[in-house]
Amino acid sequence: MKIENTKAQMRKGVLEFCILSVLKDEDAYVAEILDTLKDAKLLVVEGTIYPLLTRLKNAGLLNYRWEESTSGPPRKYYGLTETGKLFLNELNTTWSELQNAVNIVTNQKANKNE
Amino acid sequence: MNKTVNINLAGIFFHIDEDAYLKLQRYLDAIKRSFTDSQGRAEIIADIEARIAELFSERLLNERQVIGVKEVDEVISIMGQPEDYLVDDEIFEDEPQSSSTQTSRSSKKLFRDTDNSYIGGVSAGLAHYFGIDVIWIRLLLILLVIGAFGTGVLLYILLWILVPEAKTTAEKLMMTGEPVNISNIEKKIKDGFETVSETVSGVAKNVSDSVSDAAKKVDLKNQGSKIKSSSRTFFDTLADVIMFFFKLIAKFVGIILILAGAASLIALIIGLFSLSLTNVIPGVEFLENVNAGNSPLWLATLLVFFAFGIPFFFLFYLGLKILINNLKSIGKIAKFTLLGIWLISIIGISIIAINEASEHAFTERYIEKNPIRIKANDTLIVTVSENNLFRNKYNHNNEFKVKTNENGEKTIYMNDIFINVRSTTDSIATLQINKWADGKTYEKALARAEKIDFHFEVNDSNLILESFYSTLAKNKYSNQDVTIVLYLPVNSVVYFTKSTESFLNYRTHSNNIVSSDQVNHYLKIDHDRVICDTCDIEIEEDQDFEIEVDMPDVKINNQGIEVKNNGKSVLKVDENGFNAESENIKVKIDSTGINISSEAQPK
Repeated sequence: MKIENTKAQMRKGVLEFCILSVLKDEDAYVAEILDTLKDAKLLVVEGTIYPLLTRLKNAGLLNYRWEESTSGPPRKYYGLTETGKLFLNELNTTWSELQNAVNIVTNQKANKNE
Repeated sequence: MNKTVNINLAGIFFHIDEDAYLKLQRYLDAIKRSFTDSQGRAEIIADIEARIAELFSERLLNERQVIGVKEVDEVISIMGQPEDYLVDDEIFEDEPQSSSTQTSRSSKKLFRDTDNSYIGGVSAGLAHYFGIDVIWIRLLLILLVIGAFGTGVLLYILLWILVPEAKTTAEKLMMTGEPVNISNIEKKIKDGFETVSETVSGVAKNVSDSVSDAAKKVDLKNQGSKIKSSSRTFFDTLADVIMFFFKLIAKFVGIILILAGAASLIALIIGLFSLSLTNVIPGVEFLENVNAGNSPLWLATLLVFFAFGIPFFFLFYLGLKILINNLKSIGKIAKFTLLGIWLISIIGISIIAINEASEHAFTERYIEKNPIRIKANDTLIVTVSENNLFRNKYNHNNEFKVKTNENGEKTIYMNDIFINVRSTTDSIATLQINKWADGKTYEKALARAEKIDFHFEVNDSNLILESFYSTLAKNKYSNQDVTIVLYLPVNSVVYFTKSTESFLNYRTHSNNIVSSDQVNHYLKIDHDRVICDTCDIEIEEDQDFEIEVDMPDVKINNQGIEVKNNGKSVLKVDENGFNAESENIKVKIDSTGINISSEAQPK
């Protein structure tokens, strides 16, 4: 088992959740989503996001509209659908539960080690 | 100096160095190969290209600048290697692939190998799947084509439709059973699937690996280095063996389903083709004439074909699905269309059946009366004319034949005729012809009955009846029936020749006073009966009879008289003569004379 793979998997496991969260308040196009994720160091390479966006869009959680760009090709602006918002709420709950659970478990480990 | 290429990325125009172009192309190809169509490949690629175009645009200072290898490398490092796309997808796979890296055997799937194909790549795909050389599969298919009346062709076409083509590199790897990881994909792309032998040997290696799995475990045990795990491997092996048998049974069931489905489909298709060639097969003519409801025959055939063929097709499909994990689904639309067609066929058949049945709702009679100049004391001789149409005139049943009559019209000939004889107090004889037929309504039945042609001839004291009746084929066969009632005046004499025997009733009853036993006799008509002077005299030979006697030792029958005592015959009178035996005397009279013998009993 490679540490790199485990790291990558942990990161990618929450990626869906993070993408939805980025789009929670306002629509964004891929580069903007990527910037946010890259700033948070969630994403190392950009390629990962494309299949993911397509998946979310096909699942009906996202929709998009085209907008012209002055500096390049037209941009796809993604936004949450109603289903996407519900989905995000669910994930939010799960995430806080998970966070809590992980905290408890890791702290216990730390206490025992001391 | 470098050659440049003009490219269009997401609608934006770029100049790009040739080597950079080739690199970019390889990169995009590698990404393309790591997706399948179902994942929305085209859309993902379009998005990626758009992003690459955007990144290029950011790096260009002016429109005349050329993109070089450096820019491409930068973009690739931003976008990530092909495995970054692929691994991502595996994580988010809806159905988690359980330890796909461990079982290389189960990850092998059936695809069509179009790289090594002659026609559709079915044989090559099967060869990969079974891990044998493609030549054997092709040989088997050819044998099936020649030996089993084209079964191979049908099988091939169905597999061609149902088995997906290995398009992406991932699918090509799955086809050969190699684990799908990025190094293998890259290797494949580099190889470009040029060498067939390599993939085939790869498959062979893979199979031999998995087959010798158990053997390896035994080896490990013998080495003694892993004694601890020996019991575990034993149970693992046992579980493997049990699983293997379960799978084997499932596959066997699948094969049976496929064979049953395919055989039925072939039979139905052959049936459909032969029926569509109307008039070639004798049965069709039968159907056409029985078809009184005038339902289109081709439609009925087609409906029957669908009604039976579709369930068999699903059976076949089910069998195939058991055998092959990744069988291409025929799709919901196709499934529901087939289901719809099936339901429509069933309904259609029901409608036709009801329509046909309603043709027999009414049975009506058309009566024709013809006086015959026969008075009391006259003799009428009734004959049925010979005909070549129904060769076996004694076999008198509902059969009918279709021939062309003298006017060149198609005509149905039938011979279901009965002759009834009744007495009448009228002075003149009457020949009444009752023509019966079925129809949807009273009028139609009557009209159809009227269209029955039946001929007879009266000539002096001879009545000659035809042995068949007919109607034009366009009137259809609908239980047409002819009953002849001959009213004869009391005291007239009738003589039925042997030819009428099969048309007369077996027994006399209230409506019929002449039975088929009374042919070849002069019968005098009385009130509701006939008087036959010659009938009783003639004793039929070979007629069995037995007189019941209350004593079990006495037997009187057509053989003679026999009296038994303690199971031994003591008195016997039969065709051989007279024979009487007691304990010590024997009397025998036969063709040799009279013989009396006594036996002196020793005392």
